[in-house]
Amino acid sequence: MTDTDTYLIRPNHQHKFKPAIVKECIREIVRERLSGMQYDPEEVPELSRSLAETIKDKVKQSGFERYKLVVQVVIGEQRGQGVKMSSRCLWDADTDNYAEDVFMNDSLFCVVAVFGSYYY
Amino acid sequence: MHSDKKITREDTWRPADLRRHIREDGGGDERKHRGGESTERRRREEKDSRRERDKQKERESTRERRDEDERDRHADRRKEGSRDRRGDKERDRRDDRDREKRRERDRVVDGKRYDDDYKENRDRRRDKDEKHERERDKESHRYREKERERDGERRHEEEREKRREERDRERRREEREREHRTEKERRRHEVSGEGERDRIERHEREKRERHRERDRRKDENEDKRNGKERRERHGDRKNLELMEEREHKEEHRRHKDERERRHTERGYHDEKQKHDSESRALRDLKGTGEDVRRHRGDKERGEPDKHKERRRREEEEEEEQERNHHRDRTSSKNSASDKSRQKETKTEDAATVSEQQTTSVKDVGDTEEPVVNDEDLADPEYEDDFEKLDYEEDFEEMDESAGEGEDEKEEQRLQAGEEVEELTAQRRKEIEAIQRAMNEENERVGTAQSRQSGSREEEEDGPKWSRGTGSEKNQSRASQRGKFIDFMAAKQREVSKKVATKQKKRSTELLRLIDLDFSMTHSILDLPPVNEYEMYIRNFGAANTKQAYVQCNEDNADRDIQTEEIEMCEKWTQHPPEHKGACGDPNLSQEAGDKTANEANFDSKHLTAFLRPASQVMVVLLEEDRAESKSLRKLRSQTDALSFSDGSLQLNTKLPFLYGRSVSLVHFSQVQRHTMMSVHGPTTKPSAVRLDSCTIICIWNIWEPSRPQKVLVYESEVQCCCFSPGKSILVFAGTSVGSVVLWDLREHVGNHYRLKIGEDEWTLRQPTFSTDAVMAGSGHFSCVTSVEVVPSAVAGGLQSEVPLLASEEESSGLSFQLASLDESGVLNFWVVVELPKANEAGSPTDLGLRPGGKVKLLHSSSLLTAERVSPRDAAKTGPSQSLHLKFLPTDSNHFFIGTNMGLVNHGTSHGLKAPPKFYRFQEAGIRPVDISAIHFSPFVQHMFLVGCGDGSIRLHTVSQEQPVAEWKNSTDGEPVVSLQWAQTRPAVFCVLDGASNLHIWDLLKNDTEPVVTERIHSDRLTAMAVFGDSGQQNTYSGIALAHESGTIEMHYFTRSFTAPVPEEEEKLERMVTEAF
Repeated sequence: MTDTDTYLIRPNHQHKFKPAIVKECIREIVRERLSGMQYDPEEVPELSRSLAETIKDKVKQSGFERYKLVVQVVIGEQRGQGVKMSSRCLWDADTDNYAEDVFMNDSLFCVVAVFGSYYY
Repeated sequence: MHSDKKITREDTWRPADLRRHIREDGGGDERKHRGGESTERRRREEKDSRRERDKQKERESTRERRDEDERDRHADRRKEGSRDRRGDKERDRRDDRDREKRRERDRVVDGKRYDDDYKENRDRRRDKDEKHERERDKESHRYREKERERDGERRHEEEREKRREERDRERRREEREREHRTEKERRRHEVSGEGERDRIERHEREKRERHRERDRRKDENEDKRNGKERRERHGDRKNLELMEEREHKEEHRRHKDERERRHTERGYHDEKQKHDSESRALRDLKGTGEDVRRHRGDKERGEPDKHKERRRREEEEEEEQERNHHRDRTSSKNSASDKSRQKETKTEDAATVSEQQTTSVKDVGDTEEPVVNDEDLADPEYEDDFEKLDYEEDFEEMDESAGEGEDEKEEQRLQAGEEVEELTAQRRKEIEAIQRAMNEENERVGTAQSRQSGSREEEEDGPKWSRGTGSEKNQSRASQRGKFIDFMAAKQREVSKKVATKQKKRSTELLRLIDLDFSMTHSILDLPPVNEYEMYIRNFGAANTKQAYVQCNEDNADRDIQTEEIEMCEKWTQHPPEHKGACGDPNLSQEAGDKTANEANFDSKHLTAFLRPASQVMVVLLEEDRAESKSLRKLRSQTDALSFSDGSLQLNTKLPFLYGRSVSLVHFSQVQRHTMMSVHGPTTKPSAVRLDSCTIICIWNIWEPSRPQKVLVYESEVQCCCFSPGKSILVFAGTSVGSVVLWDLREHVGNHYRLKIGEDEWTLRQPTFSTDAVMAGSGHFSCVTSVEVVPSAVAGGLQSEVPLLASEEESSGLSFQLASLDESGVLNFWVVVELPKANEAGSPTDLGLRPGGKVKLLHSSSLLTAERVSPRDAAKTGPSQSLHLKFLPTDSNHFFIGTNMGLVNHGTSHGLKAPPKFYRFQEAGIRPVDISAIHFSPFVQHMFLVGCGDGSIRLHTVSQEQPVAEWKNSTDGEPVVSLQWAQTRPAVFCVLDGASNLHIWDLLKNDTEPVVTERIHSDRLTAMAVFGDSGQQNTYSGIALAHESGTIEMHYFTRSFTAPVPEEEEKLERMVTEAF
């Protein structure tokens, strides 16, 4: 059998998912991409998809080894409505974490949540 | 190849990578050659290659188990197709799984063994393929049954035809040539009709030829089919699937062609075919470079070209169909002929026989198809059924792989060319449409499949396994009907299953080590709804501006909004509110001026009612002021050179109405020690004021020397006077006309006569009550010499009635009796009564009471004290006169009366007489000497001093008739005018004699003569009074000296006379006792 019975159950400290760094990534990208944007229902789906992709790539570069990433991007129009978003995860709280950042301007809000799940 | 590291890498791979990896594993050494090709294409290639492999395997399997298959086929025929099919599929899947597991194990084995493994796999897979085949067979059987029923006759015809063909083979050769030509023509026609189609056609042809050429080469090398195939795969990887398909088809065909050429008598056909193909190949060879390039260009054109490819494929299929259409007849003929040949001739050796058997089998397979195709052509309604078409395609493929090799088919194709020509253009179009539809369907299925396969790996994780199988089921069905036979999918499934099991194992192992938990619910975004105002501002407010402040003046909330404006109004009031005028409104008073005028008069009365208590308060306050400014006064009195004096001040007696009057008496209040009363006798000199005959009594506050507090006036000469006990609110006086008068100092100023002298206005008070001529029976008939307040303190139990009365009086604030003594020795007792209410109009019964007065005297009792003087003595000394009256301070029952006989009589007002009857000189006998002064010591209250007219001074105790001490010549014979104890020192007393000498005695220092004797000659002293207060913290003591000129000086004693010496009283007592 080629399977070895040793698993890396915990990430190295330097590879651990650090919400602060991720948040900074998100912030940077989202600011860059969305500042001054107007909400356009036509282009928002594509925009959110590409944002998610960009953020995912960027976060990957941050060196969270053995982490599976889930990037959720929600862009909504801001018309004074109340919005409530929350998440709940079944995960290993020791290793997994998430980072979120909210960007808002006059016409839209963008919520990006990045969930990092450690792959044992 | 499969190191640990690799496993880990594989674990973390993304699905796409994983897929690639798996494919690489599956494809073995293919990996080496794959460079930057797109995964899609690779996948397709893979699929194709696998399909090819499968076809080959099929063929093999059919060869091997033909009998079985046939048996199966027969058995299956009885069963219902669809259900069986499904069952088979499931079985397949199970088998697949098992096989996958096995293979996974195998894969670990060395790479060199791979080929062997591969073969094994292939063998293993053969089972699966067989099943597929069987399914397909089932389908085909169904059709075949129908077909058999329908085409029973046709077959006879065909057989006949075959026979005819055999006979007319030569003729047919010619025909074929013709057909060939016609086909070419058709092609040419097509080229002319549709340029692109033509091009594609040509392209395909070229391809085919190229492959054929290569195959020929391969054939020449006599390679095994597997090897060939692999080589093909290596070689042709760059080519399209279509190419490959065709290639294989062609290859097989060629292969068989060759074989058959070798073994059959119909070699020349093959040769011809060969020539044909060779010629094509040659053409191909010439144009390869270009064409390939062109082809590649097409390929590179990508997606849009795919469509073209599809079209190309369609056309091909069309062609093939046509070909098959022809083939079916020929092949059936062929099979029959073959069989007949086998039976009849049996010239061939075993090998060939076997080969022929295979071919025949294939022919059998072929025979199915033509029927289908016939049907296809026969009833176009059927063509709408896509499933059927799919099946047909499957068969087609099988067909292509299986039976296309035979040269007979080539012939058939040529034949088909004829028939195609025969077909109407409409028909062809229909066919084309059908083909297109089929292809579309294929594409759809293909994309679905690829998508599914892409998503499968995610799906195939542990818990979703069941769902995965579901999808697979669909997929397998889809793949069954599509051109994309799902060997790829199966492979993938296999691999993913492997991966899944691996992951499952992992997860089970890991789950023991870790524990998952629900995270808290993270609130990612909580955006409250914008309120209306902000919304408004955002929508309608100016752009690029933000309203930071709101102009609603919120902080300026007015909480008093409901109350009315505050009205300001001035009102005044005054205390006590005794009538309606106690409050008022300035505005109103202005309006009603008359009223106010009236009220002003009215108010003055009440003002005094208010001022009376207020003035007393003011007096107290001023007293305190005086006390504080005492030191100032000391400085002021430095001019006086009196030795005992520590300072002095002069009362302002320079008042117009006091001008020219001498002071006959000075008297201090026993309680309010700062209140002093001076009696100014009537003057003989005429003055501006009409008060010359009147006696004026001034009430002073010694702290307020500037002016007298009150001025009292009485018409006749006042002989004696005294204050009321307690507060000095009443002044009593005895007059020379035998009346006792009293002044109520509380009376309102307005009720008295006011005299305006100069700028000042003086109120001259008439007595409130006078006994003048009122009580004729009980009054005095001679000059009143002394008026004394009977002390309320009653010693012993002797006085039973008085306290009763006293207590009654006390309740009204005035509870005392007054005693007055006249010269005749009549002692009258008066009760001082305060009326509850003043009668402004005057009392009708009490004529002595002044109108408005409230205090009056009621005659209580009368006592004649002079009776005891024996007539003998009286004859000797003249009529006895009572000159002075004193009460024992501790017992008001005892009174002492000084007489002109040098004796002090001692009497009691009621009860038993107390000894001694009188106090006399030391030497016995009576001398006609006036007792001018009696004064009880304020400290040792049973001791009193008696001053006599001959200048002698006696010190008596109450209990002794004889004096304790007698100083006869201390005044040098001058009569004693006044004699008083000092108020602060028990052993000091002052004596004023008739020669205006003031003697101050200090018995502790000197008990024989006065310590200080001051002779004041410039302005003779007429009266003197000692004042002082020892009880308070502010001890002071002094003497008031009234001069002849009318001035009154207040001298403070020096400290030696003021500060009490310790044990002074005891020493005095001792001295007294020693004296006896």
